[in-house]
Amino acid sequence: MTDVTMTVNGLPRSASVPPETTLLQLLREQFNLTGAKLGCDVGDCGACTVIVDGQAVNACLMLAGQADGRQVLTIEGLASRERLHPIQKTFENSGGLQCGFCGPGVLLSTKALLDENPNPSTQEIRDALSGNLCRCTGYTKMIEAVQEAARRLREESPAQLTHAQI
Amino acid sequence: MDDKTKVLEREQLDIESLRESDVDLRLPAVVPREPYPIEPLAPDARQQTRAVGQRATRSDGRLHGLGQTRYIDDLSFPGMLHARIKRAGIASARIKRIDTSAAEAMPGVMAVLTGKEIPTNSFGPSFQDQPVLVDDLVFHAGDGVAAVAAVTEQIANEAVAKIVVEYEPLPAVLDPVAAMREDSPKVHAPDSNIYASKVIRKGDIEKGFAESDHIFEGRFSTQMIEHVSLEPHAAIADWDANGRLTIWATIGRITLARSDMARTLKLPMSRIRIIGTVVGGNFGGKNEITQEPALALLSKKTGRPVKGVFTRGEEFTSTTTRHPIVMDYKSGVTNDGRIIVRQIRLVLDGGAYCSWSETTLGKACILAPGPYKIDNLVAEAFVVYTNKTMTGAMRGFGAPQVCFAYESHMDDIAKALGKDPLEIRLLNAFDEGSPSPTGQVLHSVVVKESLRKAADRFGWEPRS
Amino acid sequence: MRAFGYVAAKDVGHAVALLGEHGAKAKVLAGGTDLLVDLKFAADGPEVIVDITRLDELKDIAIVDDGLRIGALVTHADLMRSPIIGDMFPALADAAHSIGAVQTRNLGTLAGNLITCVPSMDSGPALIALDASVTVAGPSGRRQMPLTDLFVGPRKTSLKPAELLIDIAIPKENLGKPLAFEKFGLRKGQALALVNAAASFWIDRDKSVFVAPRIALGAVAPTVIRAPKAEAYLGGRKISAEAMAEAGRIAATEAKPISDFRASADYRRDLIAVLVKRALANAQARATTKEKELVA
Repeated sequence: MTDVTMTVNGLPRSASVPPETTLLQLLREQFNLTGAKLGCDVGDCGACTVIVDGQAVNACLMLAGQADGRQVLTIEGLASRERLHPIQKTFENSGGLQCGFCGPGVLLSTKALLDENPNPSTQEIRDALSGNLCRCTGYTKMIEAVQEAARRLREESPAQLTHAQI
Repeated sequence: MDDKTKVLEREQLDIESLRESDVDLRLPAVVPREPYPIEPLAPDARQQTRAVGQRATRSDGRLHGLGQTRYIDDLSFPGMLHARIKRAGIASARIKRIDTSAAEAMPGVMAVLTGKEIPTNSFGPSFQDQPVLVDDLVFHAGDGVAAVAAVTEQIANEAVAKIVVEYEPLPAVLDPVAAMREDSPKVHAPDSNIYASKVIRKGDIEKGFAESDHIFEGRFSTQMIEHVSLEPHAAIADWDANGRLTIWATIGRITLARSDMARTLKLPMSRIRIIGTVVGGNFGGKNEITQEPALALLSKKTGRPVKGVFTRGEEFTSTTTRHPIVMDYKSGVTNDGRIIVRQIRLVLDGGAYCSWSETTLGKACILAPGPYKIDNLVAEAFVVYTNKTMTGAMRGFGAPQVCFAYESHMDDIAKALGKDPLEIRLLNAFDEGSPSPTGQVLHSVVVKESLRKAADRFGWEPRS
Repeated sequence: MRAFGYVAAKDVGHAVALLGEHGAKAKVLAGGTDLLVDLKFAADGPEVIVDITRLDELKDIAIVDDGLRIGALVTHADLMRSPIIGDMFPALADAAHSIGAVQTRNLGTLAGNLITCVPSMDSGPALIALDASVTVAGPSGRRQMPLTDLFVGPRKTSLKPAELLIDIAIPKENLGKPLAFEKFGLRKGQALALVNAAASFWIDRDKSVFVAPRIALGAVAPTVIRAPKAEAYLGGRKISAEAMAEAGRIAATEAKPISDFRASADYRRDLIAVLVKRALANAQARATTKEKELVA
C-alpha cells in the first residue's frame, strides 16, 4: 500500500491506497470529490483536470503517490462559503456549460491560466483550454466567460478573494 | 307581554323571503346558450411579455460550475459492485465455447453472466435484432460475450481477462455496397443484408434526362462518426425484495427503455423503474438500452446494486455511431443551370444492428435531393447490415451526410458550367409553397433570403 | 490498472540501485504521461515502478562549463518558462509548446519524450540539430553518448534495463546557434506530427554563407534522422531563399516516409520540402533578431 498525505482544497487529507491508484481515483473514491471526471483515462480529454502545486494536470495520468506532500485544488475548492468564484459566475452567466461534464476541468484550466496570465489574449485562452475537450458548447461561450472572469479578477483587490489561493 | 311578541314577529323572517334570499347566488337550472368561437384562438404574436425575450441562465449552470452535478459514475450505493463486459474483438464468428470458470473462481468476483442466461436475448428500438450478450454468433467486434460483477473495477477487469472464449471465425461483411449483392455472406442469415429501404419517385426521370442539356454524376461518401459525449454510457441496476428493478441510466427515452427491458427480462413494465439521470452529453447515442439488461441480471444474481461504466474504447466499439453513407448523384441540368432531373442512390452502412437506422434512412432519403425545385426525381435508399460498429441516431439523423453530397454536387455542377455557386443555388432553391420531395407544401421558406443575407455578410463576390 | 510495486527513489544512486535490482521488471516514473497509458492498456507490464519525481537534482536547466544541461525531469512546461531557453534556444520552447496540451506539458518530461522514442517525437529534431548528447547513469557509473545513439527504432532505445537518463547536453560550441523547429499536424492542439523538422546553422561574419548546417527530420523514418545530403549542399553555400528551397527538396529525398491513414508518403515528402525551407528561413530570422539585440 502507498500512504499519501496531501493538502486538498486547503485541508490535509490522507489515505492508504494500492500503488496503482491514480490521483483521479484517489480524489473520487477515497476523498469523495467527484467533480473531477473520468472521460478517457489517457489524458486526452481533460475532464480529470485538477491543479497540483499551481499547475493544471491530468489526474488520470498521476499515481496517487506522486501527489504525496503536494497541494491539490479541485473544483470543490474554487467557491468559498461566501460566494462563487468569479470564474464560476461568468461561466454560469455566459452559458458556457451545457451538459457540464467537461466543466470542472475547464474551470480549473481557466484558473491555472488566469493565475499565471491575468490578461490573456483569445489565442492564449484557446491554448490554455486545448487540453479540455467539450462536445456541447463549441467553446465560444467559454472563451467569453474566461475573458469576463479575467476582467473581474483584475478589478478585484486581493482581500476580496477570501478563499485560500492555492 | 305584547312587546315580546312584537320583537319575535319583527325578527322572524318569513319563509318566502328566506327562499328568495340566495337567488343571486344560485346557478340557473339550465345553462344559458352562449356561442363558443369556432375559429382557433390566435395568440397575439410578437407581443412583448414578461417572460419572452428575457435573458435566462440555464438552471443547471450553477451546479455544473460547482462540480455538484451528480452523473451516474458519481453515484455510489452500499455494497455496490462493478461490472465489466468482455468484448468479442472479432467481426464475425461462431462461438464454440465460453469458459468462465477461472473468472468465477476469483476472489471478489460475485457473479458472471453469459448470453444463455438472458430470458429474451434480443432487443432494439425498431427491430429486436441485437443480443444482450452474444450466445451463438458474433455480429461485430464490439459485441458483449460475457459480463462479470466484482467488488472492484480492477478485479472485474482481471476477471474478464480470465474468461476464455473459443471462436470459429466466419467471413465478415465490411463494405455496405458489396453487402447488397445476393452472393454476399449474410450478417443475420437467412435475412437479406438490406434490412430497410425507401424510394421516392416524382415525375419522369427518363424524360428529364432526355431533355437535359448536361448530365453530371458524382459519388460522395461520408465516414463513421462517434458522438464522443464526454460522459461514457453508464448505468446502475438494483432490485428490491418485492421483485422491482430500479435502473439509474443515461438513457434519453425512458419508456422505450422500460419496454425493451420488460421484454428482455420477461418482467412486467410495472416492475421496472428507470431513473434518467443528468446526462453528460447524448447527441443521439444514449437513446436506447445497451448494458442495462446485463447489469440487471448481475444485480439479481448477486443481490447487490451493480454499476457499469463503458470505457472510452467501448464507446467507439460498442455504442452506436453516425451512418457512413455512399451517395450516388446524377443530375440533369439546362444550359443556364436549372436542375430538371435528379437520380439518387443512398447506401447506408447499417452496422451490426438496426438501432435507429430506419429513421435515419427515411430522413436521409427525403432530404437527399436538397432544398431545390426538381420536377423529376428518383431517390432510392438502402440500409445494409455489416459486421461493423452499430450505426444509429446522431444529431441530424442522416441530414448532414446528404447535405455534404448535394452541396458538393452543386459546386461541381457550377464549376463545370462556369456559373457562380451562389447564383446556381438561387436559381434552383425552394420558394414559398414549393413541394418537398414527398409532396409536402412548404411554408415559411426563406432559403433564398438566407443565402442572400449570408452572402452579403460574408462579402461574397460573384465568381465563375 | 493491474497491481504493481511502487518505490520512490531518494536520489540518483538509489534509483540506479533499484533499477539494477529489478532489471527488466522495473519501469521509471518521471512525467508518467506515456507510462501510465502503457500500464493501463498493455497486455503485461512492470512489477515495480521506480518513482524518480522527487529527485530535485534532475530538474535544472543550467549553462555549465561544457555547455547547456537540461535535467531529465525538466518538463515541456519548464522549457517554455525557462529564461535561458527563451533567450538562447527559443526553438526548443516552440517544440515543447507543440506537444500535447497544458496538462500533459506540465507533467511530461523532455527526457521521457526522447525515451518513448516514437518516430514523430517533437523533442528530438531540434536537439539532433544541435548535436545534443545524453548522460546515462548505470551500475558501472555515468556515460555520455550522442543523442542519435539513443534512438534504435520505433519505441526502442539503446538504454539497458538498469540505466537511467540523467540529462541532455548541448555542447558549448553550439550555444547560441540559430535554430528553428517546424511541425505540421492535422490540427493545432494535441496533434501528432505528420512531419516535423529542425534546422540550425551559423552565419559567417560576411552574412553570406551557411556554416555547419544541420537538418533533422521526424516522423519520416523509423527514428529521427539527419539529412546529410541537404546539409552538404548548404555547407559553404551563399545564403538565399533558393538555396533553402533546394535543401528542402534534397532533404525530402533522404527520408523514408510511409503512407498511413493520416497522410500519404507523397504528401509527407511535400511537407518535408516546405518545413525544411521554413525552418532554415526562421533560423536565419532568429539570427538577425539576435544580432540586432546584441548591437542595441
